[in-house]
Amino acid sequence: MPTSKTASLDRRRFLAVSAGAALGASALSACAGSVGNTANGSGSGKTTLTVMTVQNEWDKNALKAAEEALGMNINVIIWDPTKLNAMLAAKNPPDVVRGFGATETPYFAARGLMTDLDPYFAKSSALKVSDLDPVNDVWRYDGKKQGAGPRYGMAKDYSQDSMFWYRTDLFEAAKLDVPSATEPISYDEWLDLGKKLVKRRLGKVKVYGLNATGMGVFPQLMGMTASAGGSLFAEDLATVDFSSPEALKALQWYLDYAKADIGPSVTNPNPDGWDGPTYQANRMAMSCNGYWFGGLIGGDPKLAAASRFAPAPQLGGNRVSSCFGATGFWIPRDAKNKDASWKFFEWYFGGKPAQDRAASGWGIPSLTSLRSRMPQTNAFQKQAFQVQEQELPHFSVLSFTPYAQQAALEGVLTKVLPGAVKSGTPAGKVADTLNSRMNEQLAQGKELVG
Amino acid sequence: MSTGQITAPGAPSPSGEAAARPGPRTGAHSARRRRSLSSRRALSFYVFAGPWVLGFLALTAFPLGYALWLSLTNADGLSNNSRFVGLDNYREVFTDPETMSSLARTGIFTAITVPLTLAAGLLLAILVNQPIRARGVFRTLLYLPAVVPPVGAALTFKLIFDRDSGAANGALDALNLDGISWLMDPYARWVLVTLTLWGAGNAMIVSLAGLQDVPKELYEAARIDGANTWQSFSRITLPLLSPVLFFQVITGIIAAVQSFLPLLISLDPTPRGVTAVPEGNYLFMIHVFAQYFANGRYGYASAMLWVLFLIIVAITFLVFKLSKGAVFYAVDPEPDKQSRPRTLGGK
Repeated sequence: MPTSKTASLDRRRFLAVSAGAALGASALSACAGSVGNTANGSGSGKTTLTVMTVQNEWDKNALKAAEEALGMNINVIIWDPTKLNAMLAAKNPPDVVRGFGATETPYFAARGLMTDLDPYFAKSSALKVSDLDPVNDVWRYDGKKQGAGPRYGMAKDYSQDSMFWYRTDLFEAAKLDVPSATEPISYDEWLDLGKKLVKRRLGKVKVYGLNATGMGVFPQLMGMTASAGGSLFAEDLATVDFSSPEALKALQWYLDYAKADIGPSVTNPNPDGWDGPTYQANRMAMSCNGYWFGGLIGGDPKLAAASRFAPAPQLGGNRVSSCFGATGFWIPRDAKNKDASWKFFEWYFGGKPAQDRAASGWGIPSLTSLRSRMPQTNAFQKQAFQVQEQELPHFSVLSFTPYAQQAALEGVLTKVLPGAVKSGTPAGKVADTLNSRMNEQLAQGKELVG
Repeated sequence: MSTGQITAPGAPSPSGEAAARPGPRTGAHSARRRRSLSSRRALSFYVFAGPWVLGFLALTAFPLGYALWLSLTNADGLSNNSRFVGLDNYREVFTDPETMSSLARTGIFTAITVPLTLAAGLLLAILVNQPIRARGVFRTLLYLPAVVPPVGAALTFKLIFDRDSGAANGALDALNLDGISWLMDPYARWVLVTLTLWGAGNAMIVSLAGLQDVPKELYEAARIDGANTWQSFSRITLPLLSPVLFFQVITGIIAAVQSFLPLLISLDPTPRGVTAVPEGNYLFMIHVFAQYFANGRYGYASAMLWVLFLIIVAITFLVFKLSKGAVFYAVDPEPDKQSRPRTLGGK
């Protein structure tokens, strides 16, 4: 269409106006986003709290109970680390976020993304610092190490994740003595038991002898190295060293485990993503999951009758039994409703939900005052409780790095280890590769954190 | 308002409104009227084009520009200390073995799925183009998978091929055969290829439309000349269908190179997440995703996406060049100036 050069709105001006309008629209939509998070979503005048959490713990009834108890509307966003990162990057995070205190606190805290909860704890009558289980220290970070400094979150419950469950029926079938309930076995003994318990058919595993990693390979290697008297991370948490004698011992053990093909590993991952279905289906003799896994077992009387709990195996003389999760909640620095978020904290961690969780057997409560509520009715529960009580003194906080997320380090292991297992690469060489690739990532992260 | 008819610049309005107005007309008055008309036309153009331009600026130009800027930094999206790194990220794309292997894997995946999908779509189109009973039902059934949202299709496949509760292993179990870990290496890549082929109904419907445009007289003439079925297919059907097939090749390559569905059918719901996707399905876009959200390397991942964009442009250009002589257009897309149709008004 022909247009006049003297038209009142020429192309250049039009594009300039359009660009301005587009930026304006973006700004408006951003404002709209923030308004949506802060204002009442239902028009009832109540605060709307946006909680990012997992779906299976928040059915309609739970949500209704929460809204009634808190007197606010709750907008649940399904937990997704990708979505969380995107929301944090956009400075429009949820008000409350579910997370793994043990592996996430340094990363987010070092970037200034978490709210310091110390002032809230100081004022609270529902949550007293003196009542906090030591596991809550994994939610602390002082800028140099985990376990000290401000509290950035709180665990809803926890486990010492290297402890393991075993099926007495499969031990009986294999004519093996069951592990001690008081004395930890060595990792080598554990591997040997796994080899004896595995059942194969036509060369394929029908019943796993052992799953050695419940919460990821990297934290497990951290725990093993610590129990051998070493540390996977350097003191400044900026590098890893798989070549130290203790870490190399742990790495060699894992390579042997994966090569033995007696359980899920980086070379043969469990498609379910966790041990529950496999263990329940009589296809796993020993499962490395802490006390929380007892919640699943306790819900199945036959399984409970055949299952027992054991202390964490040890790679050396240093008895360490860490927690690799300490799943709980934290409040992002840019959250819009911090006071309402804390109200949620007090109710969720100190109110009826916390009491119910403590009695369910799905993890150890994170308030010491609730420990007496842990289930001890039947033989299975009593045995698990006793073993857990004996393990508690050996809990320690292992500092995770602030310079990379666990997924990134697991990614390196997932890429490097399968080839190494298949080719039989010596552990020393594998350690060098891991050091090189992980330290490169950590250096990039350190540059960004400063 | 203009009637919308095509008018040569400077030509009198075909509506005749100027001619119908009585009274003498000065040159200045006429020029003012022309300017006013032009302004109104310009305004109507801008009003109609405006929403698209706004959408383009806000949703395409700005994100692209921002991604380009990110690709020149070491940003992780969460830290405040990111800095300009020039072309370092681009250099790394071409020197990182993992990136290169994921790119090569994507190339192989594309080389397998595009021809297979094209062939399957064409075969199905030929079959449902036959005068058979309940032809419409077959067409609908075969097209149905293409209508299923890709996410739904991927999750369905995940359920079918689940190791413990999937129908595929259920069938093997019924035959007293051992189950297979379909979603792990080495089977995962073939599940992915199957999933891609499952959506061949889309190619079928495009090919079917092309087939129905082939004049029947050509087949009749060929039959009279003694041509057999294969000769009719290769000398009539394929050449006349070539623009349609070419379109599918181009769009198929672009879709395959950007394939992201394997994430859904192989995602491990543990902290390992996306990095635990089986190696066979670890395609370029999944590596991009891992760099963004597992490794927090927004800058590097953005550079990878820009490189992918350039690769797609290059492949498209190459395919266009290679297709010369193989694609037969009913109308020459580049007519010479002599044969170009004249505009209204003969200018």
